[in-house]
Amino acid sequence: MSEGDRRTKMMQLASGAAFLAIVVVVVLIVVNSSSSDSGGDADNLEGAAEVSQSLNGIPQDEMVLGNPRAAVELVEFGDLQCPVCKGFAEEILPPIIENQVRNGEVKIDFRNFTIIGPQSLDAGAAALAAGAQGRGWNFVELFYRNQGGENAGYADDAFLEAVAEGAGVENLAKWNKDRELLRPEVEETSQEAQQLGFGGTPSFAIEGPGTKGLETLGTPSSTEAFEEAIEGAG
Amino acid sequence: MSYPSEDTLRRVIAFVAALGVSIATYIAIVESGGGSPVCLAGGTGCHTVAESSYSHVAGVNIAIFGVIGYLLLLATAFFANDAARFGGFLVSLGGFGYSIFLTYIEVFKIEAICQWCVASAVLMTILFLLSATRLIAYGGNELQEAR
Repeated sequence: MSEGDRRTKMMQLASGAAFLAIVVVVVLIVVNSSSSDSGGDADNLEGAAEVSQSLNGIPQDEMVLGNPRAAVELVEFGDLQCPVCKGFAEEILPPIIENQVRNGEVKIDFRNFTIIGPQSLDAGAAALAAGAQGRGWNFVELFYRNQGGENAGYADDAFLEAVAEGAGVENLAKWNKDRELLRPEVEETSQEAQQLGFGGTPSFAIEGPGTKGLETLGTPSSTEAFEEAIEGAG
Repeated sequence: MSYPSEDTLRRVIAFVAALGVSIATYIAIVESGGGSPVCLAGGTGCHTVAESSYSHVAGVNIAIFGVIGYLLLLATAFFANDAARFGGFLVSLGGFGYSIFLTYIEVFKIEAICQWCVASAVLMTILFLLSATRLIAYGGNELQEAR
């Protein structure tokens, strides 16, 4: 093949690749802009019964799930809009809740660390208000199961109220009042997370007889890693 | 039209790609520890972007793909042949296209800007322009020494 032919062939291939790249990028953008994120639907909340069943019989005090006298306390710093937190709630933490929390060995304290957007603050305060009626963890778990896209705008008053109802919050008027009053607490725990050196959610810390005060765990990547940490702290 | 010499283009590509490797490696290391890059002027844009579902593809942090892409581009700067010219163009084209998509996602979907991602997008754009120039100016010159 002559040098000219080579060059022509190469330019044709390059032009084809560039055209293909433009098409792929346009398609990706169009698909992403038109796709409605699943979840975040106030009229069709899913999983209320499962959440209720999984937490049934486990004591709740404000945002602490488990026996108040449990030797080990696991602290979760989470953002209700964070998809990774949803993944932890659905896949990594359930065995811990079903075993170590249910048998009274461990309690878990959910604290807000709002990093995604303004509605994280609204949602976090709504969870605390549900916690004031002993349904904080039901709220958090049900929220995660119905979570929409980050900052997609779904976590509005109607959605939060639907989650509160689904979580079993009985006095909605009190819940509505409390969620306004508890907003500063969301900001306080977010600052606490930053002071602990956390940069993302979910982040965890643990305290027990085997630790020197509250020790940071970062983001353990598996149920087994949590079990090890709990064993070390117990 | 006069173009810079291929040697010059290769040197600049190597320099920019090395910068890209540094940035992508920083993001990958920080995020592998469960954290997120530190935004230089404060703010939570980097946290938000790192926490986003778009920060992983098939469970792999996209910063890893960035490291691989920049390393490949760095490698193309060491050879003055058509494979390197065309390979560099293809890799930078892919990186440039993906950067456009990610920037769109940052602005319109996540609604947060991470300076490190913007820096990487700018570097990838520069690499695309350099690699395209290199291919247009010197592509097909396999049989004679390109200068």
